[in-house]
Amino acid sequence: MKATAWLCTVLFAAAAMAAPPPMEDCCKEAPPAGPVSARSIYQLDATFCSDTGQCLPLAALRGRPVVLAMFFASCGYACPRLVTDMQAIRGRLPAELRDRAAYVLVSFDPDRDTPAALADYRRQRALDGAWMLLRADSGAVAELAALLGVKYRREPSGNFAHSNLITILNPEGEIVHRREGLGGGLDEAAQAVVAVGKGK
Amino acid sequence: MACVVLSLVGISAAPAAEMVRIPAGDYAPPLRAAGEPERVAVAAFLLDERPVTNADFLRFVTAQPKWRRSRIAPVFTDEAYLQHWAGDLELGPLAPPCAPVVRVSWFAARAYARWAGKRLATTAEWELAAAAGFTRADGKNDPELKHAVQQWIAWPVPAILPDAKRARPDFNGVRGLHGLVWEWVEDFSTAMVTGESRGDSGLDRDLFCGAGAVGSRDPGDYAAFMRLALRSSLTARHTTTSLGFRCARDVPEDSSP
Repeated sequence: MKATAWLCTVLFAAAAMAAPPPMEDCCKEAPPAGPVSARSIYQLDATFCSDTGQCLPLAALRGRPVVLAMFFASCGYACPRLVTDMQAIRGRLPAELRDRAAYVLVSFDPDRDTPAALADYRRQRALDGAWMLLRADSGAVAELAALLGVKYRREPSGNFAHSNLITILNPEGEIVHRREGLGGGLDEAAQAVVAVGKGK
Repeated sequence: MACVVLSLVGISAAPAAEMVRIPAGDYAPPLRAAGEPERVAVAAFLLDERPVTNADFLRFVTAQPKWRRSRIAPVFTDEAYLQHWAGDLELGPLAPPCAPVVRVSWFAARAYARWAGKRLATTAEWELAAAAGFTRADGKNDPELKHAVQQWIAWPVPAILPDAKRARPDFNGVRGLHGLVWEWVEDFSTAMVTGESRGDSGLDRDLFCGAGAVGSRDPGDYAAFMRLALRSSLTARHTTTSLGFRCARDVPEDSSP
C-alpha cells in the first residue's frame, strides 16, 4: 500500500516535471475517457500496425473524425481512385478540420503490404502525416471488413476483388456515412465529416 | 479465494468437441471468377466432430462476459442473439445442452473459436468435409447421403433442435454436416452472388471491383448451391434459428498423415 502511494507520488512528480503542452492542444488532443460506444467499430479487439512501425488498436483513433477505406497497395484500378476521392473529401473540409481528421487506409493484403511496401505507397502518393496506412493479420482484416460491410476476396492472381467503400466515422468510431462506389458523393461525405467534426 | 476458484472453473471447462482429420482434397466452387481454377486444392485439416452445442457456448460466455446476451455490443450481432436461451447464463427449455447452438453471429462464432484455440473452417474446407458420404469417401455416389440431404432441405427447422452428438457420423467420423443446422464459415462473405448487399444493385464494376467476372458453374449439387445462396445473403451480424457453427484447426506440422 505504502509502495503504491510512493509510486503514485513519483509518477505524479515526473508528469509535473515534463513540460506541459499548451492548454488548448492538450484538451483538443485528449482522447475521450470511458468505455467505447457499443455501436463503435472500435469495439474490434485487434491490433493494426502502420507503415511507420507503430502498432495500435483502432480505438487509438478515438477523438477525431475518420475517413477510412480498405485497399491494397498493388491495386491498379479502384484503389488509386479511392485515395484520390479521399483527398478530394479532405480538400472540401474547412482548414481547421482538414488536418484534425484522420485519413486511414487499411490493407486487405498483409502478405504483400509490408510496412516497407506501405511506406513506399505513402511516398508515391505523397500522403502526409494525417494519413495512416495500416495492416493487420488476415483475421483482423476480415473482422474490420465485416464491420464496415466491405466484401472482398483474394483472386488466384493474388489481387483482391473488393467493394469500393469510403466510411466516415465520428470521434467515437461509429459509422455515420458510407460512400459506395467510385466518384460522386464527395460533397455528402465531406458534409458528414464536418457534421461530426464540429466543436464538441 | 472465490475469484481463484471461479477462474479455475473457467479454465477447466475447455470445449469438449473431438476433432477429426479431414484428408486433403479439392473443392469445385459452384460460382467462380474468370481465371479461377475449376477446382481448388484443400490441405488436410482438423474439423470438430460435431457442431458447437449450447453447453459449449455457455462455457464460452461464462468465461468471456462481453459475449453474453445482455452485454454483446450491437456492432457484433443483431437483436436475436441467443434469444432462445432463458438468460445470460441459463439455457432453458428451448436450448438443450447438447443441441447445436444457433442464433449466433459470425463475430461471436469467431470469438468462440479464438477462445477455444481454433478457427472457423473456410468455405473450401467445409465443402470438402461435407462432400464425404456416410459409407464412402466421396458422397457424390452415396444414395443414402443424397436422400438425407434432400430430406433435410424439405424439413422445417424444429423449435427445439436435436442432440448434435447423436447425428449419424459420415465416412470421416464427422456428425451433422447435413441435416442439423447451417454453419458459419470464415469466408462466408466471399460468396459474391451480388455485390455489397446494402443499397446497391448488383455487379456494377465501380461498386465491386472484379465482381463482373463471376460466372456460374453447373448447379448440380443443389445443397451446395443452397449453402452458397445462404452465405451470400448473410452479414456478419446476422443470427438465425438454424445457423450455428463448428471449429477447425490446421493439422499440426509435425504430424504425418
